[in-house]
Amino acid sequence: MSKQPLIGRRSWRPSWPVNTEKVFKRRRYLGTKRSVLRLSGSYNPKTLRRELVLTDKKPTFWLIGLLLMLVLPIAVSNERFFALFGIICIYAAINVMWTLIIGTAGLQSFATLATVGVGAYGAAYLSITYGVPWPLMLIIGLFLGALMGFLISLPARRLDGLYYALLTLGLSEFCRNFVTQSDQLGGKFNGALFGVDRIVPSDLMTSWLGQVLLYISAFALLLVALAVFRWVNGGRLGLLLRASATNREDEAFSSAIGINFQRARTWVFMIASAALGAIGAFYAAYIGGTSLQVFSLDLLLLMLAMIVIGGLGRAEGAVIGTIIVVGITQWFTEWGPWRIVLVGVLALLSVLYTRNGIFGLKAQLKEIRQRRQALHRAGLTSRYAEFLPQQAPDIHDKAMIVGRTFERKLRDRLRGWITPVIIEEHRRKPLGQHSDHLERILNYFRQGPIPDKYAVYCEEPFTSYRVVALSGVPGVPPRVVDDKVYPSLDEAYHAVFLRRVNDLRSS
Amino acid sequence: MAILELAGVSAGYGPVRVLHDVNLSVNPGERLGLVGLNGHGKTTLLSAIVGLTGWQDGSIIFEGRQIGGRRTHGMGRTTPNIVRQGIALAPQGDAIFPGLTVRENLDSGAYTRATWRSRRSRCDHVLDVFAPLRPLLRQTAGTLSGGERRMVSVGRALMADARLYLVDEPSLGLAPKISLGLVAALCEINIGDGAMIIAEQNLPLLNGRVDRVLGMHAGELKQDVGEALGDIPPAAEAMAQGMHHGRAL
Amino acid sequence: MDVVFSALLLASMYGLVAIGISFTWASIGMLNLAQGFIFTAGGYTAFLFAEIASTYGLEGVALSVGLIVAGMLGSAVAGLAVGAVAFLPLQDRDNFRTRSLIATLAISLIGTQVWLIFFGPQNKPLPPIFGTGRTEIAGSGIGNGQLGAIVVAVLMLGAVILWMRSSRAGLQMRAMMMNPLGAAVVGVSVRTTGMRVLAISGALTGLASVLLAQTFFVSPTSGVQPLTVGLIISLAGGLGSIPGTVAAAGLLGLAEALTARYLQQSLVPFVLFGIVVLILIFRPRGLGGLLEDVRE
Repeated sequence: MSKQPLIGRRSWRPSWPVNTEKVFKRRRYLGTKRSVLRLSGSYNPKTLRRELVLTDKKPTFWLIGLLLMLVLPIAVSNERFFALFGIICIYAAINVMWTLIIGTAGLQSFATLATVGVGAYGAAYLSITYGVPWPLMLIIGLFLGALMGFLISLPARRLDGLYYALLTLGLSEFCRNFVTQSDQLGGKFNGALFGVDRIVPSDLMTSWLGQVLLYISAFALLLVALAVFRWVNGGRLGLLLRASATNREDEAFSSAIGINFQRARTWVFMIASAALGAIGAFYAAYIGGTSLQVFSLDLLLLMLAMIVIGGLGRAEGAVIGTIIVVGITQWFTEWGPWRIVLVGVLALLSVLYTRNGIFGLKAQLKEIRQRRQALHRAGLTSRYAEFLPQQAPDIHDKAMIVGRTFERKLRDRLRGWITPVIIEEHRRKPLGQHSDHLERILNYFRQGPIPDKYAVYCEEPFTSYRVVALSGVPGVPPRVVDDKVYPSLDEAYHAVFLRRVNDLRSS
Repeated sequence: MAILELAGVSAGYGPVRVLHDVNLSVNPGERLGLVGLNGHGKTTLLSAIVGLTGWQDGSIIFEGRQIGGRRTHGMGRTTPNIVRQGIALAPQGDAIFPGLTVRENLDSGAYTRATWRSRRSRCDHVLDVFAPLRPLLRQTAGTLSGGERRMVSVGRALMADARLYLVDEPSLGLAPKISLGLVAALCEINIGDGAMIIAEQNLPLLNGRVDRVLGMHAGELKQDVGEALGDIPPAAEAMAQGMHHGRAL
Repeated sequence: MDVVFSALLLASMYGLVAIGISFTWASIGMLNLAQGFIFTAGGYTAFLFAEIASTYGLEGVALSVGLIVAGMLGSAVAGLAVGAVAFLPLQDRDNFRTRSLIATLAISLIGTQVWLIFFGPQNKPLPPIFGTGRTEIAGSGIGNGQLGAIVVAVLMLGAVILWMRSSRAGLQMRAMMMNPLGAAVVGVSVRTTGMRVLAISGALTGLASVLLAQTFFVSPTSGVQPLTVGLIISLAGGLGSIPGTVAAAGLLGLAEALTARYLQQSLVPFVLFGIVVLILIFRPRGLGGLLEDVRE
């Protein structure tokens, strides 16, 4: 948990009071050390009570969102709804895997749909010619995807990010060309394949039960994809890659401490590609065939729009983006091409105006706020405080900054009050009642820190006094400031006053 | 009338404020030295004049025209316009074009339409000042040594038909002898009634060569140079002293 | 000899598109993946021009020149539009490269649909520019259309490259490729120059579009194939290296012509892709890197 700032708004997090008599027991997932909800104890400075704070709200949101997604189509039980949400689940699964490649592995690969298509076409072809049942198709898709992933990841070792992006962008188009021109696959029906073994037997297809089963299978696919994402991204591979993800220097550094990020990257890429191949096979079994649509550039761009709108590199972004885009394109079919234009405009807007889609907005707004505050503070400190803003970032305690600013202002004001009249007033009567300004100046002097504070030292009562400076350390005697000896206590007091005035003026 | 008038200029990068209300005026025909330690805002001051800082505020009047003001967008959007009004900057770290030849690099300094025609004669003038570049004209700039690069960078600034020359750290990273030659050459160029600001860490290099020396400390200008260099670490001071003797001998 | 002509045709068309991409990347650091959209924009402008010209009964040389100019203008305007959306607002923001890449992809997504809305999914033919006859050269015949396309493309490419090498504007663009800060310091505005670069590379693409429409047609998705091949070639040539791109265009054009002639048309994608992958595995910076190494 980060340190709470002493001044300012407390960040809001759901919290509830706890019974301090009882010991709080943390629930954990079976067999792991992960806690179910990340709760932490905290102390509320307003109510002066202990409370339990939910530090991570994400799992709760995920749970609610996924439950809604599962229940909504079944509750509505509309054929169109089933179709819509089924497609959303499948596309979301693809996008989650793509996020794994782009975000976790840091490879800007556009070969996603090519991999999906290879899985779909391979499995569909085998199913049609040899009558392979659908569970076996998934496994075939898995292997085809892994093979494809291995082949595509070969050049990634040598190529820079954008070079790689370009290379893989061409891949879909080449796959499409191959399918159209090959006799076995593309000869009939313009590249489309029909008659694949379906997940739900065809006699059930038209019934309610069949539709529910079909939808649940798609939903399960999304769940599996999310689980794979969590397992890879949150696990050792993700950690290794996060240590070396962002730039060349990090890569060099992580190789220097023994992380083989190339291998980790290849692994993640292959896992994701295998999953993509399996998703392709699932898709073929889901709709009972495949078409060349898989390889079209426009579909690839739509998928990219989904990821970009939701937020690149995050699973929740991929899912939300998919829901938005697929919702627009599948629900408002009567709009014709305009709906794709709308999606394109949304994607453009999110690239132009947000840092990272919908889920980057929060951080973006926070940063804008912080920058504004920092500029404001930089303006303040340069006017009032005695330190530079370049040096200020190491002062985390805002009270310290405020305190220093106050000190500075106070000194500025007192300095203006020191006039020969005031000094004369003090010379005439060092002790007793003074004018308001002198009183305030003296109060300021009195509250100064002990080290190097001036004091009067009595050598001999009523005849000789000296000005000394306290050491501030117990046991260490004060040092004598100068060799002047004052005949009376009042004169000594005034000498101390003059010295302090001098110090104030030069500060 | 002053050729350049800065009033209340603040500038910085992101949340960091490097310059604090700088006021400065540069007279025609003046060669101004700007002395200060690393990280005290010399480069930022020069960058702010041509609009290369992250953000800036305050008035900068160049030959009666306002070229400053409040800017919050990224670096360098207004730089080309400012430069075309007659300011030439030889930036820190050279910023030469490594794939072009030395001649093309120098030519690029005379980029503005008016000066482009006279680039050959201008190039000859620059080569008179920096004679070592003459045999290297056809060589690719990326293959030059550090001193030669610096000459190309400064020479490129001199190619422009500028009224104000800004030279940032001509001696940085160069061997003492080479940097001495470079600064001496810079200070002998005829600037007419234009002006030149040389930012430099090494005070002895400028002493006696420029008309006026200002100190820069913690983002503020100091009339007293000693104050700006007051906290010079002993070693650096010794080095500067050594340089001084080297010149005297 | 047939193979040579076919290779030359392919190479010159690919070269036009690839140089546009490569040039844009090198000078403003933006991968223009809306090049397919720009391509079709040129084709449709030429088509509109042809429609208008036919109502006024324009024919012969005037029509040919008009078609080419219209195509180049249309694509240049499309290039400027892409710049206005994907380059100017993003130019001095962080992560410009990735963001402009995504922005241009979004534009190409929108572009296809816009053509679909205004022109429908049918293929649109263009009238022949160079007549329909055949010419005999060195014992083998070649269609006038193809021969004209080769000549015009090569001339235009040569002119652009020469202009880049010698003129003030060319120097400014090359300077910006090498060092944007230095360019700003000598008074080169990244924004104006960037828009100029986009317009020029757009015009080159438009030329390719009009010339290719002699053999293929204009349709909303006709930009995808040139975009993909152009990408692959600029990649193999080394992004930003003009001699490298020309060499790669020649190499891949020859490879495609040879494969189509002696092996099988369906193998073309694999041969091309295989060659590019091989080049990139041995030369991660493409052929341009190779040439630069040789020069040193």
